[in-house]
This record gives sequence, C-alpha cells and structure tokens, in this order.
Amino acid sequence: MLEYRAYEQIESYLNNEMAADERAAFEVLLRTDPRLAEQVREHRKLLHTMRSFGQRQSLKQQLNLIHSEMEDETAVATPAPWKVFWNRHVQTVAVAASVSLLSVFGTLWSVQQLKAPVRQQTAHYVELRREVELLKKTQTAIINGINDATKPAPRPAAFSGTGFAINADGYLVTSSHVVEGADSVLIENEAGQKYKVVEVYRDQIHDLSILKVSDPAFTTFGKLPYTFKTAESDLGEKVYTLGYPREDIVFGEGSLSSASGFEGDTTAYQISIPLNPGNSGGPLLDDKGNLIGVISGKQAGQEGAAFAIKSAYLLQMINELPQTDTSAAIALTLPQKNALSGQNRPQQLKKLKDYVFVVKVYN
Amino acid sequence: MKKSLYETDEAILEGIRRDDERALAYLYKLYFPMISHFILSNSGTDDEAKDIYQEGVIVFYEKIKGNTLELSCQIKTYLYSVCRRLWLKRLAEKGRYAVKMEDSESFLPVEEDTQHHEEQERQFGIMGESLEQLGEPCRSLLEDYYIRMQNMQVITEKFGYTNSDTAKNQKYKCLQRLKKLFFATYKPEV
Repeated sequence: MLEYRAYEQIESYLNNEMAADERAAFEVLLRTDPRLAEQVREHRKLLHTMRSFGQRQSLKQQLNLIHSEMEDETAVATPAPWKVFWNRHVQTVAVAASVSLLSVFGTLWSVQQLKAPVRQQTAHYVELRREVELLKKTQTAIINGINDATKPAPRPAAFSGTGFAINADGYLVTSSHVVEGADSVLIENEAGQKYKVVEVYRDQIHDLSILKVSDPAFTTFGKLPYTFKTAESDLGEKVYTLGYPREDIVFGEGSLSSASGFEGDTTAYQISIPLNPGNSGGPLLDDKGNLIGVISGKQAGQEGAAFAIKSAYLLQMINELPQTDTSAAIALTLPQKNALSGQNRPQQLKKLKDYVFVVKVYN
Repeated sequence: MKKSLYETDEAILEGIRRDDERALAYLYKLYFPMISHFILSNSGTDDEAKDIYQEGVIVFYEKIKGNTLELSCQIKTYLYSVCRRLWLKRLAEKGRYAVKMEDSESFLPVEEDTQHHEEQERQFGIMGESLEQLGEPCRSLLEDYYIRMQNMQVITEKFGYTNSDTAKNQKYKCLQRLKKLFFATYKPEV
C-alpha cells in the first residue's frame, strides 16, 4: 500500500498537480532519496514512452488511412505489371534502343557511302546503253490514227495531220508522211472551209509535200499574213505553232533549242514545244510571224524534243519544182508582206488560224 | 480538398502545425510516388515502399511537432533523404547492402534524425510487446487512462469496478507489472 501511495505521489508530481509546498517537500525528498529519484525517472520514462507510443499508433493509423484512401483514388489507374516492369527498365530499354538505332542507321549510312562510287559506275553504264539505244531509235512519225471519230461521215478519215497555205492560190504544205498512201485528201480550217486537195509534189528526203486545192468552187485563200524566212533562226528564239492534234486547233509555244534535228540532221531544228500526233505538217513561226519551219516529228521517249524542217528547205523545194506553170505560179505568188510582226500573240493567232488546216487522209 | 491550399512547403508546414489532417494527407499523397519509385528501383517491394515512406513521414511529422525541424531544403529533398537513409539501413539489415543506389534526387545527410527515430522505434517495439504480454484488461485500462486520457470515473464504469479506488488500485497493479516487463528488456542507450 505504501508503494501505491508513492505511485500516486510520483504521478501527481509528474503531472504538476502538487501544491507548491507539497512539491517542494517532495523535491527535497527526491534529492535525498536516490531510490525514489530512480523510481521517478523510471516512471517518467515509462509514461512518456507509453504516451508517445499511443500517439505514434494513432499517427500510423492516420497514415494508413491516407494510404488506403490514396490507393482507392489511384485504384483505377493502378500500374499494370508491365508498367512497373517498364518503369524499372525504361533506361536500359532506351539505351538499347538508341544503340540499335544508331548502329542500324550508321550501317546504312556507311554502306551508302561505300556504294557511292559504284553507283557512279552504273550511271556510266546507263548512259552508255542509252547511247546505243539512241542509234536504234527511230523518229516517230506523228500521225493521229482516227478510228472511231467522225461517225456521221460515210467513211471516217484514216489519218489526220496539219497543213498550211503557202500562197493565196490554193497551194499548201504538209508532211509527206501524213498524206502517204492516200486515196483522197480533204482539208478543213477553223472557219469550217472544207476543200478537196491533191498532192502535186513530194520531197521524200525532207518529208514535205505540196498540196493543191482541186475543188472547182475554190477561188482564193486571201492574202497570207506571214512570210517565209530564208536565213537560219537563232538558238533560243521564241517559236510557236498551230496544229490539229485533236478536233480543235491547238496552239503550242516553246523555243528553238537546237540548230540541228534528230541525230544531227542539219535540215531541221529541235524545238521545245510539246507536240502530239496530228501536229505533223504544222507551221513553225517565230515571234515576228516569220515562218521558219514545218513540224515533222519528235523523238520517242524523250520529252520536249520535237523537230521541224527548216523553211530554207521548203523554199528550196518550191524552187526545184518541175518547171511547170504551177510552180511558176507558186514562186510568183509567195507572200512578200508580213502582217503579223509587231502584233501580240493572240492577234497573230487570230489572223493565222484561217490559213492552218487539218489534213484528213482517206484510203 | 483544395490543392491550391498547400501549394508551398510553408503552407504544408503551417497546416501540420495547425493539426490539419488534410495538410498531412496532401503531403503524404504528394511525395509517395517519388519514394515508391525510389524503393522499387532499388530492389524493394510495394509494401516496403509504404513502410519506409510512412516512417519517413513520421520522422518529418514529429520533427515539426517537436519544433526541432530546421528545414534548409525542400520538404521533398528532406523526405527523400530520410527515406533513403532508412532504406539503406533496411537493406543492410537484410544483408543486401546495395553498393550503388539509384538516386533520382539529391539528398542530405540525416543520420541524426533517423538515429533518433530508430531509437524511438526500438522503445516502441518493446512497449508494444510489453503491453501485449500484459494482457487484458490491464492493457486496455492503461491505454484508456494514459494514452486516451480518460477520466477515472469513466474507466471505473467501463470495466465494472465497484468504485474508483478499486480501479485506481487495479491500475496501479497493472502499471507495476508493465514497468517490470518494460524495463526487463529496455536498456537505455549508453
């Protein structure tokens, strides 16, 4: 019971519940009685530990509560096993990936570097082969095969090309290959004038043919607006043509890109006008409205390389015509006055188009 | 819970000092992923991460409560340092001392704080065991009186003692036994 009393005292001392004088007495006792002091120390330690222990327990409980609350919140987005794995190994994976990428592209790049000279060699090969092939290439004649067109006509034209007047008296020029093997030939212009023509002269070498209107109803074409140029035209000159690659007249423009034609043919120019079958025999004019050539063909498989016979050879052919009345008539009436120079292109074309015909060939 | 309330470290500290549970909860949720990642990437498990993190938070919390915290860095860094230290210790106990830690954050030396914590943990471990051995109703009696600070009158009624003197006598006997159990294993650090 004494011990019990002592406990009561110690506790009230520790809890600061003692009255001042009682407290003083107890403290004196503490100083003199080491056993009591030890007991008080132990008691204090015990109570303190117990209290902190309790606090700690409740704190832990609180944290656990927070933790489970947090887990509930993130339960939806709970990391899948693969995600944990990924998080753990992301660095390794990244390093491995970059190393492999680096080596793959490095290898590709170095192989490319090694291959570069080899590729140059193959380029040589291709060029060499193309040159060989060039020899085999033939000039593709531009003849537009018309099979189903002009249904209403009793017999549709087999081929068509382009031709143009060389004087007012009904003489025209077209490419020889257009009228090759023709039974009958018809010409028609934009205005709808339609005439039957016959071939009066053919120059196989220069691929040129002279046609003459044989229609009895024909009187005259009217005064021609263009003249024929005898001198050679210069490289780079702007040139244009009109032709009938389809039912309607088509304008094509480009420049004179070479003074020689296919395989160094000096009787022709190379021009950079996109041409199509049906353009054959069309007039080639320069900026001032001088006729400088006759469209003849283009190189197969080659873009922008078309050819036109130089006008000088056309004139030469006219001069060489068998000395008959007809030839004299042509020579005499070749147009001398250019009505196109100094006008802009649409104006030129307006005047020009009546003298450019579609040549329809029947056989 | 409005997050903006605890945007800064100061706001969190202030909240904890005010016994605001939301501040603690906010802090807890804020940095758990960081520690979890650290533990997991240093051969730990989810449970160990939770354990270590809670200990870290307790160290931090009690330092604030005890007003002994001299925070010279961010809370984040402090928590990371403490948890890192605790985890190193845990690994050493498991005999798997990691030669190299995979650190994702900078850290400070916090040996003192963790040592104090470990000492406390030891005491609490003994206290827990002693209370366990004490058995009922002694344990509840003592806990009610000393930890939950319940009135002697309430305790008397709860445990069905005839009067508070009997209860007091009972309490004294229990305390006596606890004292013996506790000091039998507990030796203060020398």
